[in-house]
Amino acid sequence: MKKRSIILSVSLALMIVLSSCAKLATPEDQTPATGSGEQTLLVWDQFYRDEESKVIETLNAEFEAAHPGVKIQREVKVLEDLKATVKLALASSDGPDVAQVNQGRNDMGALVEAGLLSPLNTYLEKYNWSSVFSTSVASRNSFTEDGKTFGTGNLYGVSPTAEVVGVFYNKDIFRKNGWDVPTTFEDFETLLADIKEAGITPISFGSLDGWNAIHEFSAIQHLLVSLDYINNLTYGVNNVSFDTPENVQAAQILQDWANAGYFSEGFPGIGYDDSNNLFKAGTGAMTITGSWLAPELLVDTDQEFGFFLLPPYQGKSGLAIGGVGIPFAIRKTSEKQDLAAEYLNWMISPRAAELWAEAGMLPAMALPADSKLDTANLFGDTLNAWNTINQGNAVGHYIDWATPTFYDTLVAELQKLLGGISTPANLTEAVEVDYSAYLQSMSK
Amino acid sequence: MLNVTNRYPGETRWKGWLYLLPTLLVYLVFTFLPILETIRTSFYQWDGFSQNRVWIGIANYVEVFSDPKFLNALRNNLVFVIFYSIIPILIGLFLASLLSRRPIPGFAFFRTALFLPQVISMVVVGVIWRWMFNPTFGPINTLLRLVGLNKFAISWLGDFTWALPAVGSIGTWVQYGFCMVLFLAGMQHIQDEYYEAASLDGAGAFQQFIHITVPGLRAEIAVALVTTIIAALRVFDLVYTTTRGGPGESTMVTGFLIYRAAFTTNRIGYAAAIATVLTVIILAISLVIRRFQRTGGEENA
Repeated sequence: MKKRSIILSVSLALMIVLSSCAKLATPEDQTPATGSGEQTLLVWDQFYRDEESKVIETLNAEFEAAHPGVKIQREVKVLEDLKATVKLALASSDGPDVAQVNQGRNDMGALVEAGLLSPLNTYLEKYNWSSVFSTSVASRNSFTEDGKTFGTGNLYGVSPTAEVVGVFYNKDIFRKNGWDVPTTFEDFETLLADIKEAGITPISFGSLDGWNAIHEFSAIQHLLVSLDYINNLTYGVNNVSFDTPENVQAAQILQDWANAGYFSEGFPGIGYDDSNNLFKAGTGAMTITGSWLAPELLVDTDQEFGFFLLPPYQGKSGLAIGGVGIPFAIRKTSEKQDLAAEYLNWMISPRAAELWAEAGMLPAMALPADSKLDTANLFGDTLNAWNTINQGNAVGHYIDWATPTFYDTLVAELQKLLGGISTPANLTEAVEVDYSAYLQSMSK
Repeated sequence: MLNVTNRYPGETRWKGWLYLLPTLLVYLVFTFLPILETIRTSFYQWDGFSQNRVWIGIANYVEVFSDPKFLNALRNNLVFVIFYSIIPILIGLFLASLLSRRPIPGFAFFRTALFLPQVISMVVVGVIWRWMFNPTFGPINTLLRLVGLNKFAISWLGDFTWALPAVGSIGTWVQYGFCMVLFLAGMQHIQDEYYEAASLDGAGAFQQFIHITVPGLRAEIAVALVTTIIAALRVFDLVYTTTRGGPGESTMVTGFLIYRAAFTTNRIGYAAAIATVLTVIILAISLVIRRFQRTGGEENA
């Protein structure tokens, strides 16, 4: 009796498993019958905000119009969601043909190592992409074929948008108090003290979410170090250390600012979005973050905002954190490689640049020469800043790409530093432990 | 399990199993097999999506127990037990005895209102309390400033000393209503004669509570302990939506470490090892509580 019931339940379990396996195979049947010349390109992107999404919808429609018989099936995901699901999807034979893949070792690097992304070198030549983006930009989307070395080797993605971390400021507050945009770091620190004395929050900031604390620290760090150093650190080459006098100094400046009350009151308990909303509502004279905030500051507010690069430290080169947005990549097992590459080329076309600029987002590509876009506003400020660092070869990096655990380590150590329970030297030592352990594991 | 003598003539035993089958299958496919798969994965080094899966024996487990981050997270989980389990049970006992002994107007309203946090999704709870605790515009600090307690209007979730108790107290808020309702139900079984006899003997309200109510609720207290301790040990959503483990590592819990290992550093094997250790700890604690409940029950009888 017992035996039979076990057999029964097992066989039923098997049936369920098998039927669910059968289901897995059906999505291909659901796609419209692909007749002669008809193709469907499955694309995953993370442009979910209204303004961004409209740009992609327009580009997709124009792509379909230019390629009769081609249909684009778009799937939009929030970045966190995309990061968590795209790896398994790219490993599957009916996954997206084109997907946005986050840069850095944990995402693009891991996918290259697993052999799931197509190298784009032949298309780089075919479409002459080197005239669209510089080698410094290409490095950010490049890995060696084994996925181990970041910044060199094959190109695996193309990025449509650009980013630069700098200072947003409230023009109304500046005007009312007769403050000017500072041109040296010394001026900037004097300005901070003046704003504080006027009873206004100098820098709207909240470190509860953690990640943006990395930007506050690294924006200062970028003013003190050389481009070679930041490249070496990020790409894990030439055995640099994190425990350097410059990094200690950057941490010291950040801690001094916190102690002087230059950040929002109670900043350790305020989230990133909340601090931005407070800034947008007119509390706080400045905030240090990326150009991606610009579209939001252009709408639904009665305040006027501007943007400038954190001014250079005396005698130093004045880098800024920056780079290009999340790139589009092609699934290695896709049967539509050429069509997918054609789509990638369209995503970084002058037309795409124009649409992104109209939406207030920095395009990674140059705008068309005949563009009549109004740049006498916040967007123009961010465009200026990007052009300044791009042409001056001063585009730095998001340092949390350096090791798989760098992000978590930096966030924890910066929160300790800002909370006053550790010193700048503690921070650089602790981060160096993480960094050197990673370099060691790589050289094995 | 089936009582053989109660079977109708001609009815076979497998019919009973047939009724169980749907649940059994769902359990097998969605709970039991994933558990086995998790345990198997914990012996591999694997990123979760590539073909590159390497058997490394117990190396993941060795790393779990020598990882100071895991030990710190486990310690925080134990602090959560105080806030998720001990305090809610004490509050629940107090409120239940208050509400059950003498009829008060609006009893049904209070019971429902106090139970309400339990039915709200944890993510929503986390978002609400993150706003409550906001140092600039949150109601808690606004209230504190209003009554002149500016000194106490601190940055709750960002404070190295207060973040853990602050997040923990959200757990208390969620759990005590559940404990209270559980105890209220249990009190229906305690016969009034006990209380009458006790008061005739001159026992005060507190003595009655200690000697009649608490022993009478032994089974319910055990259930409350098991469910709330499990909730405290596997907490993830609340930490994810409020502090993300910060500031520093001061609210880091094992559930969050599992998420981080699996989804940000591509270490599925290590994540599975932490998950397995956590499961074993939860099982062990549940068994100990069950054991206590049983031996206690025998003494009573």
